[in-house]
Amino acid sequence: MAITPLMNDGMDGAPAKRVLHSMQEQKEKGRRIVGIYCGYAPIELIQAMDLVPAVLCAFAEGPIASAETVLPANLCPLIKSSYGYILEGTCPFFGLSEAVVAETTCDGKKKMFELAAEVKPMHVMDLPQLPDEAEALVNWTAMIRKLQGFLEKTFDRRVSDDAIEASIKATNRKNRLMRRIFDYAALHPPLLCWQEMYDVGFLALPARGEEIEPLLESLLARLAVRREQGECFGTERSPRVLVTGCPVGGDALKIFRIIEEAGGLVVTPDSCTGIKSFLGETEEDTGDPVAAIARRYLAIPCACMTPNTRRLTALSQLIDRFRPDAVVDFVLTACHSYNVESHKIGRHVGERHGLPYLKIESNYSKSDEGQIRTKIEALFEIARS
Amino acid sequence: MNEEFAGIDIGSRTTKLVVVDAAGAVQRRRQADTGFEPMATAEKLLAGTSCARVMATGYGRNLFEIAFAGRTVTEIKAHARGALAFFPGTRTVLDIGGQDSKVIAIGDNGRVHRFEMNDRCAAGTGKFMEVMARTLGYAIEEFGDEALHADSDIAISSMCTVFAESEVTSLIAKGRERREIALGLHSSVVRRVAAMVGRVATAGDIVFTGGVAKNPCMRALLAQLLGRRILLPAEPQLAGALGAALLALESEKYQ
Repeated sequence: MAITPLMNDGMDGAPAKRVLHSMQEQKEKGRRIVGIYCGYAPIELIQAMDLVPAVLCAFAEGPIASAETVLPANLCPLIKSSYGYILEGTCPFFGLSEAVVAETTCDGKKKMFELAAEVKPMHVMDLPQLPDEAEALVNWTAMIRKLQGFLEKTFDRRVSDDAIEASIKATNRKNRLMRRIFDYAALHPPLLCWQEMYDVGFLALPARGEEIEPLLESLLARLAVRREQGECFGTERSPRVLVTGCPVGGDALKIFRIIEEAGGLVVTPDSCTGIKSFLGETEEDTGDPVAAIARRYLAIPCACMTPNTRRLTALSQLIDRFRPDAVVDFVLTACHSYNVESHKIGRHVGERHGLPYLKIESNYSKSDEGQIRTKIEALFEIARS
Repeated sequence: MNEEFAGIDIGSRTTKLVVVDAAGAVQRRRQADTGFEPMATAEKLLAGTSCARVMATGYGRNLFEIAFAGRTVTEIKAHARGALAFFPGTRTVLDIGGQDSKVIAIGDNGRVHRFEMNDRCAAGTGKFMEVMARTLGYAIEEFGDEALHADSDIAISSMCTVFAESEVTSLIAKGRERREIALGLHSSVVRRVAAMVGRVATAGDIVFTGGVAKNPCMRALLAQLLGRRILLPAEPQLAGALGAALLALESEKYQ
């Protein structure tokens, strides 16, 4: 018997369509939209100013050919795809956005943003990359205040620290609900499939806490019903997989699909398009809400940070919570930070957790699906033995 | 009862069939170019055999699974099992086939515990060696021997099949000795392969499988660079098919 889709709104498996629908509705209500690219964009601040953050398109193979008329071919597909969308004017979220917030996460991105700035007002934040230095917090707090100034000027409005504090609390509540939803993937077998986790994350990430809470509550109620009725994905014997690494979306979702086709279950999408953005908790009532936001975002364990020991700690917590049988490290071609870091990740997963580990380096094309399938099947052979 | 079990390795260049009896002894071996219709090739090789169970491996295995309702195993597990049949103490397997190369580490329990596979391009594979041999006017069978007779090595920097071919052409035009170019090509492949071996399994003998294992220059350079013994199975290109046949037998046994 087929399991009723979690959201069941006719747009399951098409999360971009669902979010676009929501953005257009908000725009009609007079809300103005700000584009974002990355998990470091401080959503709480944007929402406190009654602006709507829109995650811009970056995951399709299609626009890459256009991007390569300007950008070098041996660049990460996420950067090429993002810029291709901008050049072609095919990202509807970019079209709706009046300004774009970006961060200096990597060299490729920051140089691409210079080119994107020729098309749309860009505000680039200088992201500190030694997160444990005392200056990092001071500088990142200053960068968030500067973003506040940019948004106040661009959108002609002011925001109070009280409004930012309220926004922090709403986001914390949203993230707690999201973590409760992900908990259903920790069950054996899981009650959520990767597509549902991806869909919910896609919708929830840019949503305002107080507006998405009723929906998230209803999803939790549906999951409770699934539990009562014994509905689940796969069997006790299906290999459970934690996928860590670069963001996964659009054409890169092939990694999740291939794992599923090989008989596996993705129980933990550990990336910025998965569970990662919902894990942190911003400290409340500190008297300096912007510093509190800065602290939480600096703690995001992205490979652009050095040393990035927080990623190993977070990974261990996820492994203990979701109990995967294997870890797949998904690295986008030419993403040097995640590519180099994978050595440490593999060592940690093997030595600390005794789990089989597989690094997959790939892009958005379909050309290597057969080879990925062979590697995933071999990983499952190891996990079963 | 005289049951037989088959392993079929449907590779990018050739398809190999090995049939074993219930004791695991090889009864038959066949080989054919995979060609453009891999399933027709598989059918032809299987003609006349009546096996209790067939296990497919290689890049064509999933097609086989559908066409013949057979069972499949990855090349990684099949090569590991085949190498263990040739050399029972195997801990490291290096396989260089027609379109990919892989290193497999086997644990003390005889099971695969990690592997790495280069499948992004033809660099360092049988295909690369074939193209380079042809560019230099050698038959693939004599390529390694000729390289071993070179007086000195030439540094070849391109690993891409297309770029290396033009690099070789320009070396020929400069009047460089054919055997030296051949040795340079072997060295460049070996340096790459050695790095992959080092990442997966750092010590002990290496069982070398796949068609490229037949090349004596590859074996000599690898042994020299890694300081490890290279063990050559009697029929290195059959390791995958043999492994699949044995896994077919064993899966029957344990059911």
